[in-house]
Order: sequence, then C-alpha cells, then structure tokens
Amino acid sequence: MQLVPEYRADVKRVERFNFVARMTHWGHTVTFILCLLTGLVLFLDSADWLAVIFGGFSGAGLVHRIAAVTLTIFLVIFVIFDFKGIISWVKDLLRFGKNDIIFVMKFPFEFLGFPVKMPPQTRFNGGEKGNSMLTPTSVILLVLSGYIMWFPAIFPAGLVRVCYPIHDIAMVLATFMVCMHGYLGSFHPGSGESFWGMWKGTVRDDWAQHHHPIWYEETYGDKANEKSE
Amino acid sequence: MANLTNLYDVSKCTACRGCQVACKDWNQLPAVIEPFRGNYQTHEDTNADTYTIIKFIEHEDDPAEDVTWNFIKYQCMHCLDPACMKVCPQGAISQTNWGAVIKDYDKCIGCQYCTYACPFEIPKYRKRDDIVTKCTLCYDRVEEGLTPACARTCPTGALQFGDRDELLERAQDRVKFLRANGFPNATIYGKLELGGLNKLYVLTDTPDKFDLPVNPKVPGQITFWQNWVQPYFGWLIPLALAGSAVSFVTTRILAGKHGEHAEGGHE
Ligand code: HEM
Ligand code: HEM
Ligand code: SF4
Repeated sequence: MQLVPEYRADVKRVERFNFVARMTHWGHTVTFILCLLTGLVLFLDSADWLAVIFGGFSGAGLVHRIAAVTLTIFLVIFVIFDFKGIISWVKDLLRFGKNDIIFVMKFPFEFLGFPVKMPPQTRFNGGEKGNSMLTPTSVILLVLSGYIMWFPAIFPAGLVRVCYPIHDIAMVLATFMVCMHGYLGSFHPGSGESFWGMWKGTVRDDWAQHHHPIWYEETYGDKANEKSE
Repeated sequence: MANLTNLYDVSKCTACRGCQVACKDWNQLPAVIEPFRGNYQTHEDTNADTYTIIKFIEHEDDPAEDVTWNFIKYQCMHCLDPACMKVCPQGAISQTNWGAVIKDYDKCIGCQYCTYACPFEIPKYRKRDDIVTKCTLCYDRVEEGLTPACARTCPTGALQFGDRDELLERAQDRVKFLRANGFPNATIYGKLELGGLNKLYVLTDTPDKFDLPVNPKVPGQITFWQNWVQPYFGWLIPLALAGSAVSFVTTRILAGKHGEHAEGGHE
C-alpha cells in the first residue's frame, strides 16, 4: 500500500514552500507534539505511563517548558526571516470566498475518498485556509496563556485563572486540527503532492495546476511570465 | 467520623502571636523576615514558610469615633468542599475523614493551580523545594491524639479544638452573648461559607471588617475549567483521530473501486 506518492525528480516541479517556512513548520511540529504529550500528562486524569516516558511528572514539566521555549523561538524565526511570506499567506487567507465555501462543503466526500470536482483554488484551498486561521490562533493562545501559567506570581490572579481553561481549550482545538491536518498532509491520497511541498519545498507542476489553479496561474502561469518579462 | 475543627474567637484573642510561633516550631519552618510596613502585622500574607499569621486591620468608619483595630488569625480554612483538591492535576491534595485538607508533598509538582483556585489564595509556592505549602490543621498531631500546635499554645482560649458541631453550638452562644454586650454585628464565619469551612470564627463585626470575603465563591473560571472543559472537551481529539483512521481505510477502498488517482493527484 502506498502511503505518500513517490517523489519524482524527473518531472517539472515548482516551488511551494521556501526553506524558512519548511524549517519552522517542522520545528513547530516537533515542539508542538512534545508540548502536547507532556501537557496531556496533567490534562488526563491517569497518565502515569505517559509521564514515565519523560522521567516522571517533574521531567514532563521540564520538557514542556523546553519545548515551549523552542516553539516560541521557531515562531520568532518565522516572523523575522519570512515576514513577506507571512504577509502573502495572510493576504491569501483574506481571499476566502465562494470557491472556498464550496470546497469545504464538498470536502467530507473528498475526505472519505469519493471522487468530487472542486472549484479552482488559490494558494491555500478552503480547508487549508480554515486550518491556517484556527491552528495558528490556537497556538498563539497556547503561548500567551502558557507563559502566564508559568509565571503566575507576576500576573493578576483573575488573569491566571482564565488562562487554565484557555490553555486547555486552545490545546484541544489545535490538537483536533493537527490530528486531521497531519493525516491530510501525509497519508490522505487526495492530498497527493502536498507532503513534498512541505518536505522538499517543491510540488509537481501538473499537480499544482490541478489542485491550486488560481495560485499556479498567478505564480507560474502565462500572466506571471508576462509580468516578469 | 465527625469533623474536628478549630474555633477561633476574635473577642478573646490578644494578638500575642503564640500560635504563629507554635506553628513555625511544630512544622520546623524557618523565619521569614519582611520589612516593617507601619503596623503590627508581621507578614503581608501567608507564605510558603508561614502557614498562619495574625492580621492587623485598622478601620475608621465613623470619624467621630476612634480607629477600630481588629486582629484575626488567618490560614487555610480547610473547606469542606475544597477547590484546591479539585484542580490539583496530581491528586496531591486530599481530605482526612475528620476534615483536614492536606497535601502530599511527594506528589506536588509546584504547578500552583491550587493557589489560584483557592478563594482565599492561601497555598503558597516554595521555590526551594518546588512545592506549594499551606496549613495542615496539624493532621500529624491530631492523628496521634494531640491538638493542633496553635490551639495547644493559645493562652487565652481564643483557639479551641474539637468536634465541629459542638464548637458551632459554643460559637452560637458566644455570638449571642457578644451581640447583647456591645457587639451588635457579631457573627459566625465558616458555618455556611463555601458550603462550610472546617475552621470556625467568632467575629465581633462583619467579615469585611476582618479582611474576609463576605460571600466567598470558587472563581467562575475555575468551575468552568473543572466542570466543563476538563471532563468533556477533550473528546474532540479521539474524534479527529477516529475520523482520520476511517478516512485512511475508506479512501483506499474507494480508490480500488474508482480506479487509482490520475498521475499527479486528482482534482
Ligand atoms: C509557549 C508555549 C507554552 C507554554 C509556555 C506552556 C506552559 C504551560 C504551563 C506552565 C503549564 C502548567 C503545568 C506545569 O506547570 O507544568 C502547562 C500545562 C499544559 N500545557 Fe502548556 N505551554 C505551552 C504550549 C503548549 C502546547 C503547544 C500544548 C499542546 C498542544 C500545551 C498543552 C498543555 C496541557 C494539555 C497542559 C495541562 C493543562 C491541565 O492541567 O489541564 N501547552 N503549559
Ligand atoms: C503531524 C505531522 C504534520 C504533517 C505531516 C504536516 C504536513 C503539512 C503539509 C504537507 C503542509 C502543506 C500543505 C499545503 O500544501 O498547503 C502543511 C501546512 C501547514 N501546517 Fe502542517 N503538518 C504537520 C503538523 C503540523 C503542526 C503540529 C502544525 C501546527 C501546530 C502545523 C501547521 C501547519 C500550518 C498552519 C500549515 C499551513 C496551512 C495549511 O496548508 O493547512 N502542521 N503541513
Ligand atoms: S482555604 Fe484554600 S487551600 Fe484551604 S482548603 Fe479551602 S481552597 Fe483549599
């Protein structure tokens, strides 16, 4: 059984994610999962077995904090070194429109593997736009509430108290998204080349045309070529 | 087992702070010296090495009268329904069958959730051991048949220790007496507050005159977190995992039916 499509270097490929975007994405993936596992130790009522992996509860607390700081550093790197990328990402999200709504409504069928015809998508399709809004928002909430929970003495008590449910709600929302996102970004057959876009940086030219025609046209299509000439 | 309680009668207290010293002595706590703040109070609040303090509170309600000067012993109230116990992610806090709320310091990881769940913010973080500490109602003494160190020391009988129901009756009588003898606002504290406290107070005036919350409540954010978010919300995660697993299977079955995706993925 094939998990992800074969990486083909012999066909024409176009760039999808630059180095900074890929490095910080995978950095976030690792630190997020570490934070999640060490956080669940406290969230779940009986997770002693999980704590053992990190050398007990204090070990888990330490790993949570180290991973949290590393996660924050990756966020800062992303903002400093790919600010332009973030701006164009946000601009793409703001293009959320009719095609995206149709995409999201039809997506459950696509998700299960029924053949569906999707309207043309921009750089990020409707589902990716949703993920791009929800997940980073939750992560930012996790970071803010997390530091307040870490140093409760320097914040007002009422603020510390709201941070507990916020940290938990954001954790659940982000993890809910990441569980499906991780699957969609790898083993879901419909996502095709996506994984290589995030892993190696490039996707097959024909896939890009199929999946993100508007983006392809604007970036690599005739119009874009005319502009650059 | 019936609840064993401390009854503290403000009207008999001379603020000698014997209880404060006895507490330090029994629990082998180092002295904590705080700067002078212009009154007799030794510590601004309880701290990780000071489980009980005598608060000195000055009130000037009626400019024609003198300043009223109240003092009160302050420590963990050993709530009958303790919020700290509910939030503790380690189950380090428990309640003895006679009503003391105690902590197992081997389990405590110093997260300080209890500090902020407590309506009185009593438990305090002790940095050197990375734990959060508070009054134990001297459960280690009581279980050996002794009275708490503070109650044993008290020279005036302001602190008594015994059966909660009996002490409540005694407190009620005392309040009646005080009301008839120049303290019309005298009241009991701890009978009903937060569903009952395992520390009872006889006050000569309303609780606010003693820096106590008049109608203490477990903070709403804490109830929301513990009663709704913690038990139910997390189920979204297994739902997402299950959904992905289902899709993993169905996509592959359906791909067999409809034929493989075209080169480079489909639309
Ligand atoms: C900058 C980022 C973060 C910081 C500073 C942070 C900090 C904290 C702190 C201080 C605690 C309190 C428990 C303890 O003392 O160990 C905590 C708990 C927790 N964290 Fe984080 N965290 C961060 C990110 C995350 C992320 C990304 C996740 C999961 C995806 C997460 C999940 C949790 C969970 C589940 C708990 C337990 C909450 C409970 O007891 O109900 N945290 N975090
Ligand atoms: C579990 C393993 C993961 C895999 C296999 C994975 C894979 C991918 C892939 C292939 C893309 C590019 C999609 C595209 O072509 O546009 C992507 C984008 C993205 N990833 Fe991940 N990812 C993982 C975990 C995470 C985590 C933990 C986070 C954040 C906490 C995250 C946040 C994002 C965001 C915000 C995007 C851009 C929006 C989107 O395309 O949905 N990813 N990921
Ligand atoms: S007074 Fe605070 S620390 Fe003491 S039992 Fe009640 S909630 Fe817990």
